[in-house]
Amino acid sequence: MKILTLRFAFLLLPALMLLNSQLAIASQDSVLERIQAADQPFDNMQVESAHQLTVETVLAKESYQGGAFRVLARKDAISRYRCSVCHTKKTPQVRDGALITHGDIKINHGEGKNELGCIECHDRQDRDFLVDMEGQKIDFDHSYQLCGQCHFRPKRDWLGGAHGKRVNNWAGERVVMNCTSCHDPHSPAFKTKMPEAYSLPLEE
Amino acid sequence: MFVYEKSKEEMMITNPKKGLVAFILDCIRWTLSGGVAYYIYLAILLVIMGAGIYAYGQQFQEGLIITGMSNIVSWGLYISNFTFFVGVAAAAVMLILPAYVYKDKDFHEVVIIGEGVAVGALVMCLLFITVDMGGPLKVWHMIPGIGLFNWPSSILTWDVLVLNGYLALNALVPFYILYCNYHDRKPVGWKYLPFVFLSIFWAVSIHMVTAFLYQGLPARPFWNNPLLGPRFLASAFAAGPAVIMMVLIAIKERTSYPIDTTIFFKLKRIIVVAAVINLVMLFSEVFKEFYTFTHHSLSAQYLFFGLEGHDSLVPWIWTAIALNIMGTLLFAFAPTKSSSSYLMVAAVSLFTGIWIEKGFGLIIPGLVPSPMGEVVDYTPSSYEILITLGVLATGVLVVTMLIKPALVILSRYKEGLKQPEADGL
Amino acid sequence: MDHGKKKDAPLKTADLLDSKCTRRSFLKGVSIAAAAGSAGLVTGGCGSVASSEEAKLKWDEFFKKNYRMMTQEEKDATVARLERLAKLQRGLDTRISTQEPLDNVLYGYAFNITRCKGYMDCVEACVQENNLDRQSKTQYIRIFEMDPGQLDPTSGDGKYYHEVPVEDKFYMGVQCFHCENAPCIKACPTKATWREPDGIVVVDYDWCIGCRYCMAACPYWGRRFNWGDPVVPKEEINTKQHYLGNRMRWKGVMEKCTFCVQRTRQGKLPACVDACPTGSRVFGNLLDPDSEIRFVLKNKKVFRFREELGTDPKFWYFMD
Repeated sequence: MKILTLRFAFLLLPALMLLNSQLAIASQDSVLERIQAADQPFDNMQVESAHQLTVETVLAKESYQGGAFRVLARKDAISRYRCSVCHTKKTPQVRDGALITHGDIKINHGEGKNELGCIECHDRQDRDFLVDMEGQKIDFDHSYQLCGQCHFRPKRDWLGGAHGKRVNNWAGERVVMNCTSCHDPHSPAFKTKMPEAYSLPLEE
Repeated sequence: MFVYEKSKEEMMITNPKKGLVAFILDCIRWTLSGGVAYYIYLAILLVIMGAGIYAYGQQFQEGLIITGMSNIVSWGLYISNFTFFVGVAAAAVMLILPAYVYKDKDFHEVVIIGEGVAVGALVMCLLFITVDMGGPLKVWHMIPGIGLFNWPSSILTWDVLVLNGYLALNALVPFYILYCNYHDRKPVGWKYLPFVFLSIFWAVSIHMVTAFLYQGLPARPFWNNPLLGPRFLASAFAAGPAVIMMVLIAIKERTSYPIDTTIFFKLKRIIVVAAVINLVMLFSEVFKEFYTFTHHSLSAQYLFFGLEGHDSLVPWIWTAIALNIMGTLLFAFAPTKSSSSYLMVAAVSLFTGIWIEKGFGLIIPGLVPSPMGEVVDYTPSSYEILITLGVLATGVLVVTMLIKPALVILSRYKEGLKQPEADGL
Repeated sequence: MDHGKKKDAPLKTADLLDSKCTRRSFLKGVSIAAAAGSAGLVTGGCGSVASSEEAKLKWDEFFKKNYRMMTQEEKDATVARLERLAKLQRGLDTRISTQEPLDNVLYGYAFNITRCKGYMDCVEACVQENNLDRQSKTQYIRIFEMDPGQLDPTSGDGKYYHEVPVEDKFYMGVQCFHCENAPCIKACPTKATWREPDGIVVVDYDWCIGCRYCMAACPYWGRRFNWGDPVVPKEEINTKQHYLGNRMRWKGVMEKCTFCVQRTRQGKLPACVDACPTGSRVFGNLLDPDSEIRFVLKNKKVFRFREELGTDPKFWYFMD
């Protein structure tokens, strides 16, 4: 008799635990299920604290899956803009002018024979603008239209958000960095550097 | 040499009819009485406890940073010893089962000693957990009602329940029996027998639940195997009775309390079976880890052979296996008239082997390498060792304090049974 | 037997008093430690004379409830006490927010292992933003330098310090992945860690008892324990704090990445995403079908780490 009670009691413990685990599995949706069920647009502007951004931005000329968005301006970061101050209809006549004004620019864009020259991106006639392969003028603030000609895959990713970076906020109006915020257009690859931090060997 | 002086104890009784206060006072008196060797033994225990308390005071002040634990080896000596001594506590069932279920008379004589060892082991377990916690004063956060108790999700909550329940069972049942015997009464069967049978089931559950603490974590592949719970039971039923055997030998040699040698043979049988099963399970685990070496086996490699130059546990585990095998063989092939010292050597050997293999030989490798693959060695700091020794001394003291009066009461009761007229019932 | 009946009554009280007889030395030892400890806790340290206001604040703080059980008044009261304690102890003016999760938001995170160059700007930004212990160099984020062809971090190196990126290596960052089915939440015995409605797995630091079971349960090494009191130079302490986020912790409690709850609930990016110079980190609202994180999940081949453990993390890796 006592042994039977014992046996029953032995079974109670695992039964309780199984029951508990079953309940745990049944009670919540997985992340992917929740994502699939979430097809209603989310009003980003409802997050009030995400409104303040003090940077110069422009409205992007293309849209992303959520509609319009803004891009960090670029012209305010170019120290010698407007270029047409020197580059008038006549070629500037200063000895070693290119070296003095633009000598700090090293072009490392394109490999070997494919290395880019200046006028492949800069409009020869109007230095205040960039130019694409078809001769269309592109504003400096919208350089992504130029870069995206060749780098169309990163551009598509950049529009969607898989490339590049948002400025400061995940909510509120979408402001993203433009291509030149991270990539020096003349030498776009990231440089090697020492890491900002290191992790300790974890033993005493 | 401590000599049990029956008449001296008898004359020290306050008033056998006076109830609880007299009972407690007499227990204290009997605990504190003894020869020079006994006082030296008590003094050593108290000194070690004092050192442990001092070290714990430092740890409470500075934080656990003064131990050797880190974010990778986040459980060390304290939890290792906790794990092992839960097994020792569970092993009291190995005396209770034959004594009560199979009504073995020899075991009936010594079952209270087993329960005393269980209480001492449980006290050690609770103390080890307390010293391991980062915020021991906040333990009230677990009390349902005023705090939050994550039962049944968290296995730790199950462990809290079963350990305290088992402590209550193993403390209250012998208390009742001894209290009755102290008053020359036979304990009333229905008042305690159900709890005895409950404690048989409970003993298995405390150790399975403690095993499930580790077994339920898929983050730690060294622990996450179905054999961990059964292996815990097997090693508990080998190491626990070995401890009990050590205590019984000490009682036999040092006191005049009669212990029949057949008990040793019966215990020996239990130990051998459990130790052999433990070795078989160990072999099974080793096979699984090393036959097909996966990244999950890195913990086992760290333990047995070292990993990336870190090999501090390697000598320990091989010593443990050697001691384990030696203890098992010594018990298995013990000649019929084995002396106490032979049995003591076998018991100490097996106990130590299992203490290493199931203590830090289980906990540390479970945490190394970290889930992100980083390997570190673990060396307990001197504070940690002092605190551990302090807790161990506390446990030994508790066992002494329980068993010494118990022996007096039991022998007085047996004398009383032989001469009922003389005691005026 | 008359004697027998009379003797049986005291047994009931004897049951209660039993603990004094058999657990005497246990109580003796622990009560000495506990008395010393409580005195130490309340007065703020052996030998140091703390003000009685500080002692009173700590006393009130000791008895408060789990954050989830608090009413708004109780939350405001504890924030006031904590801010006052910060002023008394460190001379700092902090603002501890108890901002609720935003509605209809579930945070998700993606990490581009093609773009990460191992610069560790994220690690440093996290340390600064979240007031992590400088003495033990606690870091919620770890970056592993991996050989191509292997994905298991056991084969990676998390302790490099040389110019990066190294050719022919790729870099993978790990941190708490904020699992929907987190093993740490299941393991905690006091429910000191839980998942907020916006998906962030948080710790109530004052409620944690420091058992470290959650740390054993986490398969991603996402949790950190304060072995000693954390040390942060006063001028580097970030005073814009959240109760569940980057407020100052102390020894004996767990902590972890909180997706910068003090920033994200205000619509800002977490510090790691904001700091990354290569834009390898993407963060947003998984329930917004137009968000960047949803674009990544839809258009990129993503995977999650140790998905087979069923933890359902909200942190994906992808490649270009």
